[in-house]
Amino acid sequence: MNAEKKKRYGVKLRWMRRISQLAFLAVFLVLFRLTDYSGSDEIPYAVNLFFRWDPLVAAAVTLAVKSFIALLAPALIIVLLTVVFGRVFCGWICPLGTLIDASDKLFKAKKNHFPKLRPVKYYLLAVILITSLLGIQLVGLFDPFSILVRGLTVVVDPVLNLVTRGGFDWVYLNAPAWLSNLTEPVYTVLKESLLPFKQTFFATTLITAMLFFGILLMAKLGKRFWCRNFCPLGALLALLSRFSIWRRFPAAACKNCSHCAAFCRMDAFEPEKGLLMAEECNTCQDCVADCQNQPARFRFSLPKQRTAFDLKRRHLLGVSLAAVSLPLLTRVGLNKKSPNPFLLRPPGTASEEEFQKLCVRCGECMKVCIKNALQPTLTEAGLEGMFTPRLVPRIGYCEYACNLCGQVCPTGAIAKLSVEEKKKFVIGLAVFDKNRCIPHAQNRSCIVCEEHCPLDEKAILARDVEVINQQGDKVVIQLPYVIEDRCIGCGICENVCPLPGDAGIRVMRHQNLEPGIGGGEDGYG
Amino acid sequence: MQRRDFFKKMALAGAAIPVLSLPIQPKPTADASPLLVTGVGEDYPQLLKKVLAPLGGIGAFVKKGYKVVIKPNIGWDRNVEQGACTHPLVVRALAEMALAAGAAKVMVFDRTCNEERRCYQNSGIEPELKKVNDSRLVVEHIDERKFVPIEIKKGKKLSKWGFYKDVLEADCYINVPVAKHHRLSGLTLGLKNIMGIIGGNRSTIHFNLGANLADLNTVLPAHLTIIDATRILLRNGPQGGRVSDVTVLHRLIASTDIVAADAYATTLFDMKPDALESTRLAYEMGLGQMDLDKVKMVTV
Repeated sequence: MNAEKKKRYGVKLRWMRRISQLAFLAVFLVLFRLTDYSGSDEIPYAVNLFFRWDPLVAAAVTLAVKSFIALLAPALIIVLLTVVFGRVFCGWICPLGTLIDASDKLFKAKKNHFPKLRPVKYYLLAVILITSLLGIQLVGLFDPFSILVRGLTVVVDPVLNLVTRGGFDWVYLNAPAWLSNLTEPVYTVLKESLLPFKQTFFATTLITAMLFFGILLMAKLGKRFWCRNFCPLGALLALLSRFSIWRRFPAAACKNCSHCAAFCRMDAFEPEKGLLMAEECNTCQDCVADCQNQPARFRFSLPKQRTAFDLKRRHLLGVSLAAVSLPLLTRVGLNKKSPNPFLLRPPGTASEEEFQKLCVRCGECMKVCIKNALQPTLTEAGLEGMFTPRLVPRIGYCEYACNLCGQVCPTGAIAKLSVEEKKKFVIGLAVFDKNRCIPHAQNRSCIVCEEHCPLDEKAILARDVEVINQQGDKVVIQLPYVIEDRCIGCGICENVCPLPGDAGIRVMRHQNLEPGIGGGEDGYG
Repeated sequence: MQRRDFFKKMALAGAAIPVLSLPIQPKPTADASPLLVTGVGEDYPQLLKKVLAPLGGIGAFVKKGYKVVIKPNIGWDRNVEQGACTHPLVVRALAEMALAAGAAKVMVFDRTCNEERRCYQNSGIEPELKKVNDSRLVVEHIDERKFVPIEIKKGKKLSKWGFYKDVLEADCYINVPVAKHHRLSGLTLGLKNIMGIIGGNRSTIHFNLGANLADLNTVLPAHLTIIDATRILLRNGPQGGRVSDVTVLHRLIASTDIVAADAYATTLFDMKPDALESTRLAYEMGLGQMDLDKVKMVTV
């Protein structure tokens, strides 16, 4: 092959990879934007695709619930892809990887060894899988898509909206009319395409931002720093790609040049013989495109020289033991004895324990929630439940005929209920705080809660009662009360209560108690 | 310019933002014996035309080049049969008539209670208006920037509240409520429909709802009130849910007098015309006539 042709081949390969990366990033972002109400009760797209083909999510969830989850079957596609082509997913598809590449470019990341950190991703993987087997789900803290969607939902999207709308609003409210006549049409187009429908507000913005941008800022430490050292999905794909049959030829960097090894973004050439470690290579093709002297290629061949696995048995054992002890700590945590009474889960969730096993903290439900009602927890569900969704009625209520969260949940942690099932699902129970509720505490009629109760047969009613009001007059007011059997805990009553601060009616956790079953202390001797 | 100067000037500019004050159009003053038209019919566009005819037709309200606001009730995520929102065919017919009368712009909106997109969609109003296919017809969600603080000079309970700019600036504001039950106010009709064009936390004005509604209506008396009683929600209002709580009447009520319209619509629920506190207080404040004996009633 002549030099010219080889160069062109290299350029072509690199552009193919870049186009693939950008295309998948675009798909990812479009799916993110489509994770919203669109005028019909059903979302017609598989907006949660990236989670459903994520083998790490599939493995962790399957181990946790110990049964096959049909929703996650697409993960087999990525497994097969990796067994054949190696970590092509990391190099050509992963949207977080693409953002990391971009960040590396931006910060002019140097290749940097930190070879001791490399096994950390395997230890993380081990911890995630072992703990999930024992009923604690940590995958969401480290899974690249969970980090990405959570970061976009909780931080990037709201901030983008705030800044963009803030700019247009400023022009609209302060600038002369001719200018706002120019900007408003642009704003309308943006509102209908790029921007979310409404400004959202979330808990944990700072910590989520630190995790998300922290990963991108790792560019300061070296290229693909997260992928090489920490990504547990990368670790899982690395294990699979040891068997891959799409391999670089020649397998080692040339002794007299080693240009490829020196510039490899994954630092995938082992130092001794310069052999390319298949499990570390993300098949980015830089080493082919930049090859200085011989025509390097990726081609199908059976792996001949296996490189040594970059793991210390003793470390793995230690980490595994730690992972086994973690569930013991959470089981004696206070949450197990007395759960937070205001921790409300989305409609369609099973028991708290089952829910925590299935939930991968991906943030899809929080993205899709049209009332901004689902919020990430910090410690309300225990540290092991961090970033799981909770309904916070004072921020937003659960829209009666909406079942979108169940539609986008990739693991079934929030079951896909029909609208009719959803309308009957009990999230919690509304309870009046008669010391605060306006009619009860101030002897004035109000019943905004009754007005908003969406049930055909309202769960909040009111009876006419004669009272002496604050002026000392005898008046008849409407005194509201809850019919417990009807209430589904959607929280609209708490949401619209006109009191400042805590509402006069609050939704309490549904305890899932079966009467007369179980033992333990109940206070009777 | 020095950076520091720039920031200083920015801060000054920010402090100097004037409070928006809008000229409020003179609205028709209350007539002691207003005209009220009511009629029954299953073809709603036809019925609407018939009901408006004695009032001078749509042309009496919408002139060429007018900016028109049509304010239906789109408050709830409920469908047509459930009777919680204004009938989409009535809204569409009205919009088409206004367009045909030469309106420069016809705006339809409501500040909803449930999620706005679901309300617009499932009430049937947005899909029905999309069929009109006229660029002068604008169906928008509420834009929070457009609430303008207005002094309520005649107000007894409220002294100031935010009102929607497009309504304040409209040449013609047509109020199209649906008649339905509401536990606190008794019924929700024309006067209460103003809730959809005001800003702020609306929950907080529910303590003296009747008085507050009367106060709010002093700012923006509608040029025309058309009460949709094609079907009325008898119980479980204002959002209902059960079709069994709805009675179909195929009736429309139109008047330039919002109090008269409310007083008459109240009788459809087997209640006395002055049964609602808001009607009584609005009458006392001179917003219209609630004594139906003094109203010129035309049945078509």
